[in-house]
Amino acid sequence: MQRFWNDPISWGHAGIYLLGAIAVLAVVILFVTYAIYFERKVIGWMQYRRGPNRVGPFGLLQSVVDVAKLLLKEDTVPAKADRKLFILAPVLAFVPSFLVLAIIPYGLKLQFADVNVGFLYYIALSGVTTIAIVIGGWASNNKYALLGGMRSAAQMISYEVPLVMSVVGLTMMTGSLNLRDIVAYQGEYFWQWNFIPQIIGFVVFVIAAVSELNRTPFDLPEAESELVAGYHVEYSGFRFAFFMLSEYIYVYAIACLATILFLGGWNPPLPQLDFIPGLIWFALKFACIVFFLFWIRATLPRLRVDQLMGLAWKVLLPLAILNIFLTAIGIEVFGKGG
Amino acid sequence: MLNFNIDFTGEFFAFFLLSVCAIVGAVLAINFAKVVHMALSLAFTFVSLAGLFILLQAEFVAFVQVLLYVGAVTILMIFGIMMTKHQDEEKARSRPLLETLAAIGCLCLFGILFYAIRAASFPLPAAKLPDNNTLEIGKLLYSAYAIPFELVSVLLTVAFIGAVALAKREEEKP
Repeated sequence: MQRFWNDPISWGHAGIYLLGAIAVLAVVILFVTYAIYFERKVIGWMQYRRGPNRVGPFGLLQSVVDVAKLLLKEDTVPAKADRKLFILAPVLAFVPSFLVLAIIPYGLKLQFADVNVGFLYYIALSGVTTIAIVIGGWASNNKYALLGGMRSAAQMISYEVPLVMSVVGLTMMTGSLNLRDIVAYQGEYFWQWNFIPQIIGFVVFVIAAVSELNRTPFDLPEAESELVAGYHVEYSGFRFAFFMLSEYIYVYAIACLATILFLGGWNPPLPQLDFIPGLIWFALKFACIVFFLFWIRATLPRLRVDQLMGLAWKVLLPLAILNIFLTAIGIEVFGKGG
Repeated sequence: MLNFNIDFTGEFFAFFLLSVCAIVGAVLAINFAKVVHMALSLAFTFVSLAGLFILLQAEFVAFVQVLLYVGAVTILMIFGIMMTKHQDEEKARSRPLLETLAAIGCLCLFGILFYAIRAASFPLPAAKLPDNNTLEIGKLLYSAYAIPFELVSVLLTVAFIGAVALAKREEEKP
């Protein structure tokens, strides 16, 4: 791990870190803007609609205008809400979602912090957002918001377990939790990437990840037909935008993590294709996962609450544990390379 | 005894900031009246402690601390919301004698701790810390400390099954 606090304190160092953070923020906001546009277009296409097509060419400026609308909206705090916590909750939801991005390696050289427990860092910080959602729901002093917050907490805690367990098999093969080491471990050809030997782990990871993201079919915390809008009913304007922003940043982070852990990160699928830079391969795989997330949102109906908990504890967790056993047997029989 | 030789590096500032955060969180946890506020300031303390672990190069312990305690605090908050009345806030009665005694006790404890820490010597570890300390923790857990580790797992399983049994019995006679 880099010990950046051993650097002497100077404006130069602080400026470099600040510039890095601003660059990431700019990339992420660009991603979020166009992810929303892309999501609406993809879902429109799948449902025989056109999607946004009025503002700008092909509706490209739709999300920009939407954000501007949110900025200009009246910012209301309900009279009986717990005012301080109501204001604190969106901040608390956004900060960890942004901090998570610090450890993601986009290439061999392109990474901010090289933490040797990279995956744990992600899981630990994403849990803080759950607290923010519960607080937001409670501070709104609204039944629907509270129910949404409660559901979110139950769901996040249940699905964190299979999410962590699904990566254990992969860690056993790699012998490291460092994201860069995990990418370096995966071979040159695409059939040597982790998603083939760890296929059970990959499936469990994707399902648990979709649930952690609170997206359809697991979007019970904000099921509009049951809860109006879930934990953010009372939020408006820019505070609401922060909740949405952190949700989409987690989409970004999970897509990056799936690329790194299972799809070989910045490695090209065949070593002959090495002339194309790794960043482009990373972006392609990343885009496939983001598209997959939008695709299942357009296709699958929402689960019931009881089915949701049953799926986590009775299906995903045993599968993840089975995967750990199979991996151990595999390592024992074939050695670490297989 | 009171020679504080401090060099102002980033580490010093980080330590100072994190320890102040940890103490502030703990004090607020005692002083708040609403259970959600308390749980949140408790979470604040735990995150600051995780920061201190990172300063000591124990990243694994730090992130596991955040991972576990964040979940724990969320659960605590939910049970707090479900099992307490959140309308009425009762005022604590002031008990001057008890409070004075408690203050004297606290000052004594602080004095003892301060003296003990200042008097103790902290020898540097003989060997350099291993580079990948998560790997070393894993190796130690499965070789030298295998039996304590398994015992703790058995204890946790027993507690887990006990909790399930208690919850089940409640269900039978409503």
